[in-house]
Amino acid sequence: MAAPVISTASVAASESAVHWDALAARARAVRRSKAVVLYAFLIAVSLPIVLPYFWLVTIAFSAKTGVAETAVLWRSMAVLVPTVIAFWLTAAVAQSRRHTWIGIAAVSAIGALAFAWLVGPDLHLGNFIFLWEPDFASVVRSRVGEIKGAVQFPNVWHAFGNSILIAGAQTAIVVTVASLAAYYLSRFQFPGRSSMLRSLLVLHAFPVLTLIVPMFLMLYWIGLLDTLFGVILVLVAFELPFAIFIMKGFFDAVPWDIEMSALTDGASRRQAFARVVLPQVRNGILAIAVFTFIRGWEEYIFVFTFLIRNSNWTMSLYMYWVRDDVMGVDYGVVSAVGVFYLVPSLILYMAAQRYLMQMSIGGVKG
Amino acid sequence: MAKIEFRNVVKRFGAVEVIPEMNLVIEDGEFVALLGPSGCGKSTSLFMLAGIYLPSGGELLFDGHVVNEVETRDRNVGIVFQSYALYPHMSVRDNILFPLRFKKTPRDEALARVKAAADLVRVLELLDRRPSELSGGQQQRVALARALVKEPQLLLLDEPLSNLDASLRLSMRTELKSLQAQLGVTTVLVTHDQIEATTMADRIICMRAGEIEQVGTPDDLYLRPSSLFVAGFIGSPPINLLSGEAEGGTVTVNGARFPVEGASGSLTIGLRPEHLRFGHTGFSGRIAQIEPMGREILYVVETGMGAVRVLEQGSSPAHSTGEQVNIGFLSEDSLVFDTAREKLIAGAHVRAPT
Repeated sequence: MAAPVISTASVAASESAVHWDALAARARAVRRSKAVVLYAFLIAVSLPIVLPYFWLVTIAFSAKTGVAETAVLWRSMAVLVPTVIAFWLTAAVAQSRRHTWIGIAAVSAIGALAFAWLVGPDLHLGNFIFLWEPDFASVVRSRVGEIKGAVQFPNVWHAFGNSILIAGAQTAIVVTVASLAAYYLSRFQFPGRSSMLRSLLVLHAFPVLTLIVPMFLMLYWIGLLDTLFGVILVLVAFELPFAIFIMKGFFDAVPWDIEMSALTDGASRRQAFARVVLPQVRNGILAIAVFTFIRGWEEYIFVFTFLIRNSNWTMSLYMYWVRDDVMGVDYGVVSAVGVFYLVPSLILYMAAQRYLMQMSIGGVKG
Repeated sequence: MAKIEFRNVVKRFGAVEVIPEMNLVIEDGEFVALLGPSGCGKSTSLFMLAGIYLPSGGELLFDGHVVNEVETRDRNVGIVFQSYALYPHMSVRDNILFPLRFKKTPRDEALARVKAAADLVRVLELLDRRPSELSGGQQQRVALARALVKEPQLLLLDEPLSNLDASLRLSMRTELKSLQAQLGVTTVLVTHDQIEATTMADRIICMRAGEIEQVGTPDDLYLRPSSLFVAGFIGSPPINLLSGEAEGGTVTVNGARFPVEGASGSLTIGLRPEHLRFGHTGFSGRIAQIEPMGREILYVVETGMGAVRVLEQGSSPAHSTGEQVNIGFLSEDSLVFDTAREKLIAGAHVRAPT
């Protein structure tokens, strides 16, 4: 009597075991295919963003006598695109994390070798002539033929210095003013506080370009037209509202208890702010500093409108005139200036990425 | 050390009067507890002592001097917050050192005092850690060391134990009390937990809606609560309150008749669960629920007057659910309150129905 009972039980058990395995396998397959599709989508979306930068860099290092070397460009593409697809396939096929890493390392090595073989021989630094040759314009012009109404170029390092000065001074002012203002808005009640907060947001909603004519007249009347200081003031005014709003979010997240504790410990309000509250919002300060610096670094419209003398040029104006002067003929030099202009932003972003990510955590609360 | 005095202190926030009028004297070296439900003004009083809130009226005195206008940092007050409020970017050593920086204490002496304070609360081996690397109990000790290192004349504790787990709370209670006795510093504890207040404080100030309901020793508040509010707030499990009408020397509560002495009109009878006994006489009911509490057993008894809680000694129940019981008590243990005024009628007692 006992035997049949046991056999039915074991059959039922084995049936259900098979069933579970199939379910697990199906779930694995679904997860894997979802990941593969997701990566395909991400690659497809990011390619149009990445490709122009890739071309810019390739052209800057390969173009000769003013003409973009299309052959080099195609060859570099022939290396890049298969490499990206190989990365994707590796990730899709690999069975474990270790396999993935090995596959990626192998594909990178092959890609680098192919790049060195196909593109390497055509790379040179000739287009970066502006970095060491103050009168690079005549050299370039002699390559492409005589040009009328030529622009007088300042030393590129001078423009670089101006850009650093504008971005740096703007950052210093915005960080100082925004921290103080945001602290006050976060901690104190005063008449008009909420309407001030609202107007901070509204100020940011308008396109700044609409104000360019009145700003021009204002700067002209107070005598700050064609001065770096004038541009710095304008940029600070436009950057402040948002910076204050971001900083307020960070200050709101600092508990009152800590401040009260500092006061009972014998600190004055100013000491409590400097020694206890400020260190808590360090990430917020770094975030707005990086954003403000990069905004100042890439600024184009205001410097183009308010700065005239070539000794006041910033990197964006320098780049504009390089393009304008050679009438779009010497792609190599234009790309090289672009790469040079890009590098500081890139370094800054990479160094500060950690803090920028925290902005969403610090949060913007009303 | 200081003697603290509130003289007609008023605190308003805009139009809201949080503390209508407060009069209170805290003796030098005393450990008092401000006890009350949240929103009763106990934390507001504490922050006025610390100087974070300014009184809207009246006078606050330290050792007979009016300190209304004195800045927080000049009051020499140590405070431990519910959240501990340690400075997250500083090591434990720097946290405890922080108050001494503003006192221009020479560095060697300051470090020695930090060590002494850390030793006192037993965090000496944690000095190089960050607050985020400490457990709740350790953070609390560090906060205490920081409050004590400047040798304050007044120590304020704002719900210091409410973020700790139950067993830690028990040991910290003992430690805080012995520490206070050892240092002799005037201490004000703010809490909504009656056990914390009754176990630690010499005197309890029970507050309700900004007003002081009763000031007294833990015993006073337990045995002679001056109002229904205090009676209901102190004691765990809570007191049984039965309201009825007195006529001709008998209070009638939903049919049950309690002989009463010294009171008449609308009355509320207060009977503590531990004063009630099962017996042959008294009012009757049916046991609805049994809750063993370790050394005691709490019976919830359904009676004609509603649920009545009875606390019996012992660890195994002598009765079972659904059993019909009679409940009696000693007359001197009963409390009688005037229902309308919510006040205790001193000397009035009821006897159990026969």
